[in-house]
Amino acid sequence: MATQSLLWNSVKKFLACGLIGLTISDRYASIVPVRGASMSPTFNPQARNFTDDYVLVEKFCLKKYEFSHGDVVVFCSPSNHKEKHIKRIIALPGDWIGTSHNSHDDVLKVPKGHCWVEGDNSASSMDSRSFGPIPLGLVKGRVTHVVWPPQRIGLVERVFPQERVSSFK
Amino acid sequence: MIPTFNLTGDMFLAERLSIKFGKVGPGDIVLLRSPESPRKVMVKRLLGLESHSVTYVVDPMNSDRCDTIVVPKGHVWVEGDNIYNSRDSRQFGPVPYSLLEGRVFCKIWPPKEFGSLMKSGMKDPDL
Repeated sequence: MATQSLLWNSVKKFLACGLIGLTISDRYASIVPVRGASMSPTFNPQARNFTDDYVLVEKFCLKKYEFSHGDVVVFCSPSNHKEKHIKRIIALPGDWIGTSHNSHDDVLKVPKGHCWVEGDNSASSMDSRSFGPIPLGLVKGRVTHVVWPPQRIGLVERVFPQERVSSFK
Repeated sequence: MIPTFNLTGDMFLAERLSIKFGKVGPGDIVLLRSPESPRKVMVKRLLGLESHSVTYVVDPMNSDRCDTIVVPKGHVWVEGDNIYNSRDSRQFGPVPYSLLEGRVFCKIWPPKEFGSLMKSGMKDPDL
């Protein structure tokens, strides 16, 4: 029947689009919502907003795993593999980072293959200050742009507290 | 990973679904991204999941000293089958579960060693 072949054509197109979309989202770039206020004011600057920010995450950085100080990245949580977090890379392998542990100041060397991540809103952010440096293999993408809400569409800048990090390269 | 795998030339099949659904357990051979070098993928044997207590020989070339560790939440303990020459959790500690990439289930080359891999070399995890 004509309607059956029309239905089948639609299903085929839908599946093809789905596969292409999944491949692009897996390998190249995807758009994800940001939940929580740990990256205020970069994302979700007002907690009272009902809609989350949406950001563009690119996966090309995963070919070489080369990141810069100040990159905002998406990574799998080291304590729960089903959760993903978005934080900023403050220190790269081999850097010395100043932390404040148990109210006394401490200096830590970031081990080989790891990085130190922190949220922009240090008052309410679960990051490397609680779970330590994370292996770079946990990073699943880099956030490049904010795409929603429209009034805040733009590039995500690379900023980081340079006074707390020393790299001897 | 001697003697399970030869130094070079072995080929095996690995699947990714077990990792996604959390169906790996101690004794499985897994592919994981190296925590020291994110561009490298390693093949090791999974010996302990989170909250398992793992006993391992710290430095088998020089002494028989054993140590016991409880694997933290969200992490796994991996060791090579050839503990005399393997860089694994005994050196870099338990690794986060998300670093696992696949599970090896069948060796396909060389042909005389074809077949599914035995769960040998497994130590009893104390739950």
